[in-house]
Amino acid sequence: MRGLLRDAATILAAVLLLGTASNLIPARHLAWWGKGTEPPAAGKDFQLLDAGSADSMRTSLPRVVFLDTRAAAEFVAGHVPGATAISYTDLPRQLTAARLTELRNADAVVVYGASEETDIEQLLAQELRRRGMPPPYVLAGGVSAWIGAGLPLERGDAR
Amino acid sequence: MSLLRTRWLHWVLGIALGGVFLYAAWSKLLDPRPLVTIIWGYRILPAGPIDLMAIYMPWLELLVGVCLLTGFKRRAAAFWAAALLVMFELALGVNALRGVNVACGCFSASAEETHNAWFLVLRDLPMLAAALVMLLCPPRRDAPNS
Repeated sequence: MRGLLRDAATILAAVLLLGTASNLIPARHLAWWGKGTEPPAAGKDFQLLDAGSADSMRTSLPRVVFLDTRAAAEFVAGHVPGATAISYTDLPRQLTAARLTELRNADAVVVYGASEETDIEQLLAQELRRRGMPPPYVLAGGVSAWIGAGLPLERGDAR
Repeated sequence: MSLLRTRWLHWVLGIALGGVFLYAAWSKLLDPRPLVTIIWGYRILPAGPIDLMAIYMPWLELLVGVCLLTGFKRRAAAFWAAALLVMFELALGVNALRGVNVACGCFSASAEETHNAWFLVLRDLPMLAAALVMLLCPPRRDAPNS
């Protein structure tokens, strides 16, 4: 038992050493105690947008990017025309420099999910804002509201 | 019960669970910042310790994965693996009971799995069982290799 506890403490010590050392690297530094972890706030991190306004924006502005946070199968079954699928759990791979440039150059970025629950969309909007973007829009009610407003969906593979 | 104490079983479990932990650690180590928002999304911890968790947890997953995979201090690694998995189960279970589908942050490429919290709870159970076998049923010194 003592050997187990000693080995577990050794692993913990190595974790503390490696974690502390890695967090001293400026490019990946996080505040040690909770700075920047405030919940996403409407107005500051994102702006809510109703389906009708989102469609008006889509048809009147040349570069409006819709980001679909739902599962790949849901995206294929039907998404806002021209939307791009994005997985909130795979951001390091998906938010490439080219993608971020595209988003920064867009007239507007609208993040949407499936329904009224917009936690993930708000978190994604907050993450984008932290990466230097103006607050994106979050589609209130998601695809359900989009369909409810009689707006068209497009079928096809995730991009 | 003697099967649980055979060396080959511990090697198989260690390689399987170690591989899972290494895979889980990789993307978080590359950039821990999205992990902060994922942990916040669970809405369990107050703001203060969330960053600490995002800083250290990926390294714990990495070392646990390496130790399980190589057999070096395997039992201690199984202790930490079990502790992590119990914590994950509690966090996922709480949100499943709340009816909230969180982005689990378990593996970077598992977008489809983020929408079913109960599935995630069930998926972690075999991993927890494997960790507990390695922790609680160490192979006997005179146990045969096969």
